[in-house]
Amino acid sequence: MAVAVKQWDARYFQMAFQVIFLFYGIMFLQWKAEWLQYSLYIGTALVLQWLCDTIISKKIVSPFHWSSGGWKSALISSLSLCLLLKTNDWSICILASALSVFSKYIFRINGKHVFNPSAFGIVATVLFTGNAWLSPGQWGSSVVIFFAVCCLGFIVVTRVQKLDITLAFLLTFAGLLFVRQVMYLNWPVDFFLQSVSTGSLLLFSFFMISDPRTAPNHAVARIIWAMLIAAVAFYFSAFKWMNSTPIFILVLMAPLVPLFDLLMKAKIFQWRAAVKESQQATINFIKRKRIYHG
Amino acid sequence: MKRKIISAALLLVFVSSDVFAFCGFYVSKADGTLKNKTSQVILVRDGERTVITMSNDFKGDVQDFAMVVPVPTVLKKSDIKVVEADLFQRLNDYSKPRLVEYYDDNPCEPRVLYENVLSGRVAGVSAQKESKSKNEDQERFKVKVEAEYTVGEYDIVILSAEESTGLYKWLTANKYKIPKGADEVLEPYIKSNMKFFVVKVNIEEQEELGFEQLRPLQIRFNSPKFMLPIRLGMANADGDQDMIVYAFTKNGRIESTNYRSVLMPTGKNIPLFVQKNFGSFYANLFQHQWEKENQSVSFVEYAWDVSPSNFMKCDPCVSEPPNFNDLKEAGVWWLGKDVYEEYVNEYNTNKTKNVFFTRLHVRYNRKAFAQDLVFQETPNKENFQARYIITHPATGNLTCSEGQNYLKELKERRKKEMSMLSQLTGKGYDDWDLVMDPELNRTIVDTSYQSIAVTESTPMKKTGTGKTVFLASMALLSVLTMVSIGRRGKNKE
Repeated sequence: MAVAVKQWDARYFQMAFQVIFLFYGIMFLQWKAEWLQYSLYIGTALVLQWLCDTIISKKIVSPFHWSSGGWKSALISSLSLCLLLKTNDWSICILASALSVFSKYIFRINGKHVFNPSAFGIVATVLFTGNAWLSPGQWGSSVVIFFAVCCLGFIVVTRVQKLDITLAFLLTFAGLLFVRQVMYLNWPVDFFLQSVSTGSLLLFSFFMISDPRTAPNHAVARIIWAMLIAAVAFYFSAFKWMNSTPIFILVLMAPLVPLFDLLMKAKIFQWRAAVKESQQATINFIKRKRIYHG
Repeated sequence: MKRKIISAALLLVFVSSDVFAFCGFYVSKADGTLKNKTSQVILVRDGERTVITMSNDFKGDVQDFAMVVPVPTVLKKSDIKVVEADLFQRLNDYSKPRLVEYYDDNPCEPRVLYENVLSGRVAGVSAQKESKSKNEDQERFKVKVEAEYTVGEYDIVILSAEESTGLYKWLTANKYKIPKGADEVLEPYIKSNMKFFVVKVNIEEQEELGFEQLRPLQIRFNSPKFMLPIRLGMANADGDQDMIVYAFTKNGRIESTNYRSVLMPTGKNIPLFVQKNFGSFYANLFQHQWEKENQSVSFVEYAWDVSPSNFMKCDPCVSEPPNFNDLKEAGVWWLGKDVYEEYVNEYNTNKTKNVFFTRLHVRYNRKAFAQDLVFQETPNKENFQARYIITHPATGNLTCSEGQNYLKELKERRKKEMSMLSQLTGKGYDDWDLVMDPELNRTIVDTSYQSIAVTESTPMKKTGTGKTVFLASMALLSVLTMVSIGRRGKNKE
């Protein structure tokens, strides 16, 4: 009995959801639609990714047989930039996209890139150009967004791997906020709810920190790492009054990942392997079902 | 015994409604959408330094005035200043939403012209009785009087407290009337290590100085906290309160980091008759947009580069843009003393002298605003103004064929203007307050609009909830579809 199951790469879902979020923002949250900027982010990332793939494989990669999966990563990174990074200068868009793509090739240790590409692009552009910014308030704190990001994010993350990074980060961060805001400072609970239901935090948890390629390989290391990011980000936001701290701390903490990998050995995450694994799981599931039904 | 009421200013107009004595001037008499509880604040910020100026148009007996403002540090006497009252009026006039007029030619070249103005809606802070500031019960209440000053017509006490019950008791013992629910907010502030800036009027000083109106108070401090403590003002607020923030920064617009920023709809063509009632139009527009955006938002009404090097400080200008003295008065310290010459004469590209102005309008209530307003400065230098356009029809003989075409187009245009009006304000022609002359108490719409209004269907009232529900279901639907496609796969045997 041969069973062939077609499983979709989780990255397709990620892209689709990012596009939904972008259109939601433009249509319902009154974001100014910066079509030129969006095309620059996406265009630059794809062209540079293609260039890098061509150089590395030492032959011209045909866009129609571009199988390495590089374009998916480039597209996801550039969609993140569309969602998060604000600027009034088109050259900043090109710079941010270029930094995202190049960071994958420049900062590499043991066959893994060190930084989350879009987080690196965002942080470097904000810090070094002074002409770009993040708008943590752009999502508001509406329940609908909370619900949507959680649902959609949940699907993406569970299809890739366990929810471990996301939950470790989110629970630690929310837990610390709860202790500080409600238990210590005695703010009413809705004060706390507004802090945790903000779209920026949820998007970060489900779509950025969850990136399996830039997290430690070992499961325990991943959880420690995510909790560490949450704790440091919480400290800077609660006591130093800084904004958008999770994304900055994610980049700051990225160099710890190779260290974790060195101390705690485990397999490197591969997108293709993940797809195969989930295919295998489905096959097994179907087989079992058939056996059960006789 | 008379009791003091603490009104927390800085937005913190706590104030029991019967004592609240606001007499701001605004246009609409009849509609309940205009809020007279509007406070105005000037925020100047660079690095960790903040200067806050709080308007004070308290109109009752000055003896009744008191306010409490949470501040991050103990202020020195030199950090507190009284500024001229008309500063707020000037900033408001400069930055308020504007109506511009165009004239159609008989059917030829168009010409541009002028501005009409929404009357500023401004607001108050109130009320309390008696002046007595001695504090004998520090130990008992665990409240420490950090400093006491008299600045201008004000007596100021800066308190720090260890616990809210102590502060509450101290304030009560000192005959301040604390509204119910205030202590739920006092405790978080105390634990966040905030101090309390308590102000009342020194009657003798006030008489000596001879100012009839209470002047705005300005405070400055260094702190990473870039926020406005609106929560204290909501302690007993039953309704919505408005706040206008005028911000001056070096690099670009400020925006809230914990609430959504929304640009006011701008550049819209609206019916001619709005001219007679622009204040009411804007009040309706604001209320409608605020509800549409689910309330928890801050609106940008104006943003402009007012740097010395920028010659065009508004377009069109409704009133004089803030000049060097206004900026200094508002607390823009980085201009220095010597730049006046440069400011008025020369093209000055010195970046350290840049000033960017943002006007935010927030309508808040306890339910939609659980947190204080926290801000950040962005490098966004894009200018913005809330601007609405009316077009006067051509006059004279229009019997020629172009004239006839023009009349047809005019009718189409007016239909669009009408539907834009209902889209912006959520109200149609039938809503009398937009089409009535508030003074003459009669309809002011010319008949051409009336005939359109009859044929046009009444506008549908869209709410933000409908949209969100729609989108949420869209999103879920797409997810389910994708999941099912993914799951189904291709099974071959």
